[in-house]
Amino acid sequence: MQATYPVGFVRALIDTDAVTTSTRAALEARLSTPVVTVPRFFTALEFAVLQAVCARLLPGLRIDIAGEIDARLAADIGDGWRYEVLPPDRRAYQVGLAGVEQAAQGIFGRGFRVLTSDEQGTVLTAVQTNTAPGVAWQTVPAIRFFEELLAEATEIYFAHPLAQEAIGYAGMADAPGWERIGLDERDDREPQAHS
Amino acid sequence: MVIGSGAGGAPLAARLAQAGLSVVVLEAGRQWSPQRDFATDERAQAGLFWNDERLSAGADPIAFGRNNSGTGVGGSTLHYTAYVPRAQPDDFQLKTEFGVGADWPISQAELVPYYDEVERVLGVSGPSPYPWGPPRAAYPLPPLPLNGAAQLMRRGCDRIGIRTSPAANAAPSSAYERPGIGPAPACTNRGFCQAGCSTGAKGSMDVTFIPVALAAGATVRSETFATGIETDSAGRVTAVVAMHDGVEARQPCRTLFLCAGAIETPRLMLLNRLGRGPVGRHFMAHTGLQVWAMFDDSVRPYKGIPGGLISEDTHRPTDADFAGGYLLQSIGVMPVTYASQVARGRGLWGQALLDHMGAYNHVAGINILGECLPYPANRVELSDELDGRGLPKPRVHFSAGENERRMSAHAERTMRAIWTEAGARDIWSFPRFAHIIGTCRMGQSDVDAVVDSRGRVFGHPNLFISDNSVFPSALSCNPALTIMALSLRTADLFLNGGD
Repeated sequence: MQATYPVGFVRALIDTDAVTTSTRAALEARLSTPVVTVPRFFTALEFAVLQAVCARLLPGLRIDIAGEIDARLAADIGDGWRYEVLPPDRRAYQVGLAGVEQAAQGIFGRGFRVLTSDEQGTVLTAVQTNTAPGVAWQTVPAIRFFEELLAEATEIYFAHPLAQEAIGYAGMADAPGWERIGLDERDDREPQAHS
Repeated sequence: MVIGSGAGGAPLAARLAQAGLSVVVLEAGRQWSPQRDFATDERAQAGLFWNDERLSAGADPIAFGRNNSGTGVGGSTLHYTAYVPRAQPDDFQLKTEFGVGADWPISQAELVPYYDEVERVLGVSGPSPYPWGPPRAAYPLPPLPLNGAAQLMRRGCDRIGIRTSPAANAAPSSAYERPGIGPAPACTNRGFCQAGCSTGAKGSMDVTFIPVALAAGATVRSETFATGIETDSAGRVTAVVAMHDGVEARQPCRTLFLCAGAIETPRLMLLNRLGRGPVGRHFMAHTGLQVWAMFDDSVRPYKGIPGGLISEDTHRPTDADFAGGYLLQSIGVMPVTYASQVARGRGLWGQALLDHMGAYNHVAGINILGECLPYPANRVELSDELDGRGLPKPRVHFSAGENERRMSAHAERTMRAIWTEAGARDIWSFPRFAHIIGTCRMGQSDVDAVVDSRGRVFGHPNLFISDNSVFPSALSCNPALTIMALSLRTADLFLNGGD
């Protein structure tokens, strides 16, 4: 089932008239967003931890997840709701990332960034299952913090045209409409997988 | 004056304007130009959602934003799935039938002429005859084609003896003349209903009832956020205070219709100390459990009307250990939405998440849309936290009860059986509650209701509510069509009743 799709098919599609102007603009903007090197909201240390956490949660393509989260928090934009048990987003991220560091120190005696991939996985699993050490988790419920962080990181990752290319998504080719929508049917502009 | 331009406000605004009344609609969100503005990109479309923060409390906190909210001229119909089943007659008599929940003070039969009318205006495509419920008029158009998820659900249902049918969807299956509006294009199977239709095919309010209202002389003021409602000593509304471009303005009005949805309507009521009944209470959200599965077949779940197939065989299951029932709906899904649910629902991350998403093109889903009982403790209230406008953020308490848990368990067994028979592997369920309902319910008196059977607020002779907040019970179907039908009924009763 692990299929691979032709590299570059989304990039090629974007340049055709199969993609509407508004969709092309959205995708081009995302492809050309500069990587954030100096955070506007987080401290340098918080940002470095967030980058390391995001790289472990979504280890595939190098997409600037941490930079997008930083930009959102700098602008103080929300998504319409939050769990009441969590503090406001900015505070939740600050306390939660401190908690990840506390958990790494508590379990391995070292900061999260210098842990091996397996060790980082252990720390994140501990946060996800509410078994992580750290005073942070007294103010920020670990399970909800992890869920929110993971969901935001995942949405940023899979909104990226290159991540969509990797899973064979061709919905951005929206100009003509779809003719062959049934099971095992494929329009010409959709990619074919190679097993 | 009408606050809100969605399914509750737009039909009513059109009707009142056509009757010659002077109608002003206030809408917090933007006026979009879908063909120019809408991208087939989930993240780019986030502007369609109500992004002011709501606090979600209780044992089953409700997600908002992409779910359960909307903003812009057209309201949440800008991103509704266009799945428009009618409520069944017995949905309106839940208390009589089961001894729990609440009866409506009106019958389904009273809504039928309005259902017929709304279906014609939207250009609903559906099966004729419709397999469930009382005999009814034919749908204006034959059903839309089935996508992969719909075909798979039908395969599984056929094998275990559950009847299915192509569903009713508010998008024309061929070019259609919307009565009084003009030509609507056929649906192009773009599959993006839940984040904005860019072709004008989907029957959202901005391309149906709003143009009717405008043609009849109504004014729609977009990006205008109502905050204050002024009343006199007799409880009559005298004026509305609203913000536009950072400037607050006061607009006198003779009659006010609140159509802001089951969170913002009670929030406005509470902010302005309006209403005598249980304002904000009896908040409901449909049981909306989803069961996802993977198939060897290629599904490519981003194509076609997302909810292609329906079954109402589970409307009143013979082996039920709960009150009410549910419908079954096949679902297609966009990648960001699906990935987010996999993250939240399964807790997958790292390589496991990437591997799962690698099979995105083989994913299909079924979800239910089921009854939810009204509990007084499930409620909308004002919190101590202020938003960017300096107004208290709403806090929404929701905890499912035993009835919802039993129904969800029954539905999960049913959907897993369907997917197993259809040849699925890796079946998983995503617990979820959908739609916001109740909080200003309709009833006989202010002891246990906020509005009367006409939609008029007890204690305020010229204040009406027309949206999902007046529902006394949740109804075991998607609410949009019923909200629109009720909206026309509220307008007609107002026009015939004077005042």
